[in-house]
Amino acid sequence: MIERMLNTPLAQWIDERSGVVGMIRKHLIEYPTPKNLNYMWNFGSLAMLVLALQILSGIFLAMFYKPSAMVTEGGYTMAFDSVQRIMRDVDYGWLIRYIHAVGASAFFFLIYMHFARGLYYGSYKKPRELLWIVGVIILLTMQATAFFGYLLPWGQMSYWGATVITNLFGSVPIVGHFILELLRGGFSISDPTLNRFFSLHYLFPMILVAIVVFHLHALHVVHSNNPTGVEPSEKGVVPFHPYYTVKDLFGVGVFLIAFCYFVFFNPTGWGFMLEPDNFSPASSFTTPAHIAPLWYLTPWYSILRAFPDKLVGIIAMALSMLLLFFIPWLDRGRVRSARYRPMYRQMVILFFVSVLVLGYCGHVELTQTLRLIVRIATAVYFGFFLFLPFVTKHEKTRPLPQDV
Amino acid sequence: MKTMPWSAAILGIIIACAPAAAFAEGTLPLKHPHITMDKKTLQEGAEVFVNICMGCHSAKFMTYGDLMHYPEIGMTRKQVDAIRGSKPLIDGMTTALTAADAKMSFGKVPPDLSVITLSRRGPDYVYSILTGFKHDPSGRIPDGHYNAYFPGNNIAMPDPLAWFNHDPKDTKKIEEQARSVSSFLAFIAEPHQIKRRLLGRYVIAFLVLLTVVLWLLKREVWKDIEH
Repeated sequence: MIERMLNTPLAQWIDERSGVVGMIRKHLIEYPTPKNLNYMWNFGSLAMLVLALQILSGIFLAMFYKPSAMVTEGGYTMAFDSVQRIMRDVDYGWLIRYIHAVGASAFFFLIYMHFARGLYYGSYKKPRELLWIVGVIILLTMQATAFFGYLLPWGQMSYWGATVITNLFGSVPIVGHFILELLRGGFSISDPTLNRFFSLHYLFPMILVAIVVFHLHALHVVHSNNPTGVEPSEKGVVPFHPYYTVKDLFGVGVFLIAFCYFVFFNPTGWGFMLEPDNFSPASSFTTPAHIAPLWYLTPWYSILRAFPDKLVGIIAMALSMLLLFFIPWLDRGRVRSARYRPMYRQMVILFFVSVLVLGYCGHVELTQTLRLIVRIATAVYFGFFLFLPFVTKHEKTRPLPQDV
Repeated sequence: MKTMPWSAAILGIIIACAPAAAFAEGTLPLKHPHITMDKKTLQEGAEVFVNICMGCHSAKFMTYGDLMHYPEIGMTRKQVDAIRGSKPLIDGMTTALTAADAKMSFGKVPPDLSVITLSRRGPDYVYSILTGFKHDPSGRIPDGHYNAYFPGNNIAMPDPLAWFNHDPKDTKKIEEQARSVSSFLAFIAEPHQIKRRLLGRYVIAFLVLLTVVLWLLKREVWKDIEH
């Protein structure tokens, strides 16, 4: 049926003037894909689906949302009120908002799985270094987008979370105060902050789409890695359609079941996706008992808290993200997949564990024991990058298969 | 899977330490009443809310008209008229107590209760607070302001259902009031929740069917490929 559609006179007419049909053929139908990809390779397409969902639901939310910190009855604000009006009075407004709120968490979950897959199977190694770097830029852009978006409901966590994070930029030597005031549009989080965050929250996803297009383009130049990490021969690949269209669609089905469970039955995600404190209106007079970012930012927040000195913590946090850019060069081994690299496999699993531990600890109040655990996990996190060049240089690898 | 012991050991340590560390604070675990959202309970809860809570608290996102319009509460026009007095149907259910007066009497402005079950620990928390007034074992906090379930125990709200030192034969009645008003507050925090869960069942059922079909399709397409 698709073949017939692509051969209609209309399609031909368009193709002669744009080459679109040729592109569809090349990138969505014939695109050679390794036949041995496992389900870890589903997360990229799923993340694109959620990006589309976020943009669509966000467009509709923006039709009703009011970015104003003007105080209304009961200590609420226009912004908080408009969110409640969406939840109560807009037809299926609750559905759109929950899709957007759960979607944010889902997006990060998928991207982190996508990263984990890339790390484990060495998808960052030559010739995919740029693909990896663009991926890290995507993650940073997502984190910024999420941070801007979280201020918009103007709840307690919005307000205090934004206060804490913008304060971090204020600690940068010399230019700190300039950045701080630029971000806030004043001396504290207030109405101008809300307006510019709303504007940026609408802008950043557009940038994200552009970067994702570049990511995909680069992918289609270097092609997918696969679980063996060996470049496949002609016999090792299958055309994208129907093999991977149908496999990705099956993945979409499984994902949507989990996604809709949260949207319809657990929209606050046990308080991890919508925090209880954020249902209290923002107040500059009362600080919540415990300020923590949403779960997807907690590993980095933990690294920040691991150091007693604020500036050192900030540098460590920035470094923890920046180091990701250099992984393609820190890893000096020739073999890609962790399947054939026993040492690297140990290291990368330990790295995953450290991120999970940091993530957990970033969400709770620190006790003496937990503080120690955070420091150990931080050491493991940085240890991964520190030892990577030495371990991988002399690593004894297992024999590779001839083909996938 | 040879590497698992390493990582598993670390995870084990975390799991062992974490809960103990996370819930170190001294408030009691909440009571868990059986909260239902049937029409009768919601209407009773609305009565309690209007007659007692609204002396000080508001629920501004909930209008008087909503009491009729949400079929789950489904009050009649007559019932609503009796509650609202001269206030318009489109007005939020707000208290007559001004913020300044509240501050004078209680030291703070009572929070709006529209989304209280979401911003605190659910309807169980509301129920536990309402039935948690006791004599302070250390004798520091005056009776009527010591609450076993409130963080820090010193609550500004004076025992609204007169739970402290109540006659044992009233226990049932007060518990019933607390239960129905907790249910009402949980409902108004998210008035579409019953519809949401109902719709969710159909959505999930459809998706499961779709996914099974897609899985069969995938198996069919891939059956000739060795991988």
